[in-house]
Amino acid sequence: MKKFTCLRVILAMSAMASVLSGRAVEEKLIILDEGMWQADNGRVSYIEDGSVVSNSWFRDVNGYKLGDTPNDIIQINDNLIAISVNWSNIIQFITPEGKAVAATENVPNNRRLASDGRYVYVSSYGHECETVNGTVKFTKGYVAKIDINDFRVVATCEVGYEPEGIALYDGHLFIANTGGYAFQEDHEYERTVDIIDAATMRKVNSIDTGVINLYGTMSQSGQYLCINSPGDYYDIDAAGIIFDCRKALDGDPQPFVVMPYACTYNCTTTDGSFLAIGSRYSYYTGEYTFNYLTIDPGLCIESGGAEGIENRLPGTMVNDIMSMTSPYGIYQNPYTGMFYATDAGSFAGAGVLHQWDPQGNYIGKNGLYINPGHFLALKPDSWNSGVGTIVATPASPDDDNAIYDLLGRRVATPKKGGIYISNGKKFICR
Amino acid sequence: MTLENKDKSEDLPDANINHVCGSTDDYLVSIMRILTPSRLLRRSSSALPLLILALPTFYAGAANTTTPDSVAPDRVDTLQEVVVNADMPLATRQTLSGKELQALSTTSVADALKYFAGVQIKDYGGLGGLKTVNVRSMGAQHVGIYIDGVRLTNAQNGTIDLGKFSLSSMESVELYNANRLERCQAPSEFASGATVYFRTRRPTRDSLSAQFKAASFSTFSGKLNLQTSRRGWQAMLDAEALHTKGDYPFRYHSEYEDTVGRRTNNDIRYYRVEGALFKNGFSSHIYYYYSERGCPGGIVRRLSDKYTNVGREWDSDFFVQTSWRQTLGMHSILANLKYTNEYLRYCTDYPENQNTAKVDNHYHQNDIYSSLSYACAPTDWLSVNAGYDFRASWLSADLKYFSAVRRHDQKAVIAADLRRWGFRLAGSMLYQYYKDFTQMHTGAAKPLKRFTPSVTLGYEGRGFRVHAWYKKIFRAPTLNDLYYTQAGNRNLKPEYTTQWDIGGEYTFAQGQWNASAQLDLYLNKIKNRIVCLPIKGTYTWSMMNYGYTFCRGLNANLNGRVNLADWNLALITSFTLQRDLDRTDPESDLYNRPICYSPTFSCGITAIAAWRTLSLSVSNLYVGKRMWSYADPEDMLKPYSNVDVKVDYSLQFKKKYTAGVTLEVLDLFDVQYEHVPRYPMPGRTLRLSLTFSI
Repeated sequence: MKKFTCLRVILAMSAMASVLSGRAVEEKLIILDEGMWQADNGRVSYIEDGSVVSNSWFRDVNGYKLGDTPNDIIQINDNLIAISVNWSNIIQFITPEGKAVAATENVPNNRRLASDGRYVYVSSYGHECETVNGTVKFTKGYVAKIDINDFRVVATCEVGYEPEGIALYDGHLFIANTGGYAFQEDHEYERTVDIIDAATMRKVNSIDTGVINLYGTMSQSGQYLCINSPGDYYDIDAAGIIFDCRKALDGDPQPFVVMPYACTYNCTTTDGSFLAIGSRYSYYTGEYTFNYLTIDPGLCIESGGAEGIENRLPGTMVNDIMSMTSPYGIYQNPYTGMFYATDAGSFAGAGVLHQWDPQGNYIGKNGLYINPGHFLALKPDSWNSGVGTIVATPASPDDDNAIYDLLGRRVATPKKGGIYISNGKKFICR
Repeated sequence: MTLENKDKSEDLPDANINHVCGSTDDYLVSIMRILTPSRLLRRSSSALPLLILALPTFYAGAANTTTPDSVAPDRVDTLQEVVVNADMPLATRQTLSGKELQALSTTSVADALKYFAGVQIKDYGGLGGLKTVNVRSMGAQHVGIYIDGVRLTNAQNGTIDLGKFSLSSMESVELYNANRLERCQAPSEFASGATVYFRTRRPTRDSLSAQFKAASFSTFSGKLNLQTSRRGWQAMLDAEALHTKGDYPFRYHSEYEDTVGRRTNNDIRYYRVEGALFKNGFSSHIYYYYSERGCPGGIVRRLSDKYTNVGREWDSDFFVQTSWRQTLGMHSILANLKYTNEYLRYCTDYPENQNTAKVDNHYHQNDIYSSLSYACAPTDWLSVNAGYDFRASWLSADLKYFSAVRRHDQKAVIAADLRRWGFRLAGSMLYQYYKDFTQMHTGAAKPLKRFTPSVTLGYEGRGFRVHAWYKKIFRAPTLNDLYYTQAGNRNLKPEYTTQWDIGGEYTFAQGQWNASAQLDLYLNKIKNRIVCLPIKGTYTWSMMNYGYTFCRGLNANLNGRVNLADWNLALITSFTLQRDLDRTDPESDLYNRPICYSPTFSCGITAIAAWRTLSLSVSNLYVGKRMWSYADPEDMLKPYSNVDVKVDYSLQFKKKYTAGVTLEVLDLFDVQYEHVPRYPMPGRTLRLSLTFSI
């Protein structure tokens, strides 16, 4: 505990020094803190180079609050970010500097976002949408297409009940339907992934996965999707799905593999794999079990699930995550290779961000706000200045004494006063 | 002592009368005895003036109100001094009764309870919001609510919405920390961490009263009260109807927002009819309540009012209960019988509601309760109490994956009370046995069997009373906790509270001056709190045992009163200083942090001035700052100070008619405050009541 506090102080001083010296920021991370339901305290945390710049970033920048229960965040292009604020019925658009640009309430009960840089696609549990052609009503859920030129909904498409995950591949949207209100409403859980032509917003196919309630984070790695199914918490167990969008578009009747593991929180890695923290719960026993997966989706699909699924996470991540109170999200920064996971704790206190280097060696933690669970990394300054691409360096048995900076880059000659990592431990070069 | 008129007898807080006479059935007998000149009652060795018995839970006697019982006849019966030898009450308790109760600006019983030390009210806003009471931070489900000695229960969620009960038919409201400690009590009276007793007023003459009330936010209500007293029987019928839009304005003003609006979906329409019948030790009560109300949500950022989270609720509650208490020599017996039927419909299936599942669920509860207790006092220094309770509850609902549940709840208690040389020692051992039956596919929870003790030691003398007590008790998981679809957890353990208290009180009475002071220091521990949390690493929520709370506090009451010719002046105060700490996880950053929603300091001050039939009462309730999350120091509910003013005047004409008018201003300074973040409470509210009585 004391160690981490010291680390925070050191990192904060380091960040301050970088600002004062005008040094380029290499790690920029936005995290949505969901807050507490109906308490209007959804927040945005912003982290630079390992230290928290603000746990109320949106509010600090704009002078007003974000709203209630932010649920997803994506980068649309270099100048625009979208945040779905679920209980406020708002889709908030901001710049990468956090400045609010526009907001729309035309897609109530919005859930998850995808974008092709020109349009934003939003899944919604609602049954009504305000479009350029007037109000459209739906029996089930729907996907809305928002033109970022005027932030209006230009088209919609009805999908299954309570659609959740949404991904864009080869001009098509892939929607994971949950039917999550099935235990309250008069319909059953959904089992389908709907495929929509993004240009025409017409449904072109619906793939029955045979697995119910496709709920939670849905990560994408190229043509592959990682989809979670928590089951019904009674008779149907949790599962995970690796879905091949290419095969689905090519007409393969079964373009997916169902894994006997949950993928409750999952993310895409820089090498194209999926990492997943899975939890299964049964109302019969009141007990839950965890699994921790690294999935090679290509190998998994090719082998029909026989290969490509490993019960491990990089470095010490499994043990570190097992010691958390309530894991709430996992992420790898695509620019720096750093790994992150959040712990929501008791759900009434500040959540915690844990950080690992690209090899999975634990670096430290930072306090955030309530229920932090959704990540977006921004391009490092060096990318914008053309310094070059940072690629996570895989661990090698021969690299035992290799030295890395905080962004995971191997350093041949550490500079005096700098903070580096070697053999999984931080040190200050003196 | 001189009693100025007959009605004064009603002003005696009957809790004290019970301690004089030992039990409820002696109540009327005792009054008759008191009204009999020169009659001395001798029950114990402690001799105290009767008026002292009315303290420290103090009454503001002459604050005239317009209810039938409080109409002062012009006849004055002058009686000789009465001295009663009686026990001081042993329990830690606070009482509001008679006209003191009516001097407060209240709309429901919850409003009265907030004037007690150590009480926190949780109110989801306005007239229609759920109102629950939390005593010494133990949680609402550790507070037993009793009407005429029989407990109100809700097997479904264990919480009683105090907004459903009116004070208009109540004689007194009493709060006991731990047990009441009467000679003959039912086991269920021992089975909660704190107990609140509402006692229905027993009519002493025939009367008919009608009241019309108009208040801010389109609030209108009418009330009819009929009372009769003949040949030893007393009967009461009270009916009320209310309608309000509840669309009060609110404002959130801070560095980050300036939100101004009106509360929506906050309307309520209710009807309440209740009656009671008494004769000596027999009492019965019948109650029916029907309401339709909006369930307003939290005020969150929205771009317009186009989509709102509309939920509506319909309640229908009925109960009929009867109680019989008889004392013959050293033997006392108490029998209770009750039937309760409750219906709840909750609907969110409205077009403007886009955010939640569209549900239309119906819940039905039936509950029968029977109890038999026996007490024996073989000597003047010992009494023993034994009792057995049986309750059967049925819950059915049209939830998916839900089947009807039946619960059998049995309790047995044995208690002893020793008194000698001013000392008193009371102890009890309670046994509880819960067993559920259901066809639900999760199966029924395992039967729950537990013994829990309590011990109280007291000493009294020269106007002083000191006491120390210990009590351990649990609350059983409710049927919702165990079986609610996609939340219930049948493996829950009971939530335990352990309480220690040491305190004392001093009473003073001389001439027309009366005063009392009461101080209690306490320590509570609560373990295995039953809470609903998201399950680790899944997206579903479930009831869990999570949490350990350590609470230390101080409750104090200071009261005073003086009668000067036509003037009556009174001051009633209560103070709470409390520190609740989270002791759940020593490894957590939250360990030893204060519990959310719990203020460190709160106090209530009420001043009453009455001149003949004109009275003015001013109340100020202060509640200190409370944190509502641990995440940020700014997640704090601001302290607030609520000042209520009430002016009441009644006029008697033709000797048998009385007309009264009451004007109330609640939250005089229009302070914007919250009990729950983003659920604003109403600001300044005006209320005008007209009453006509025969």
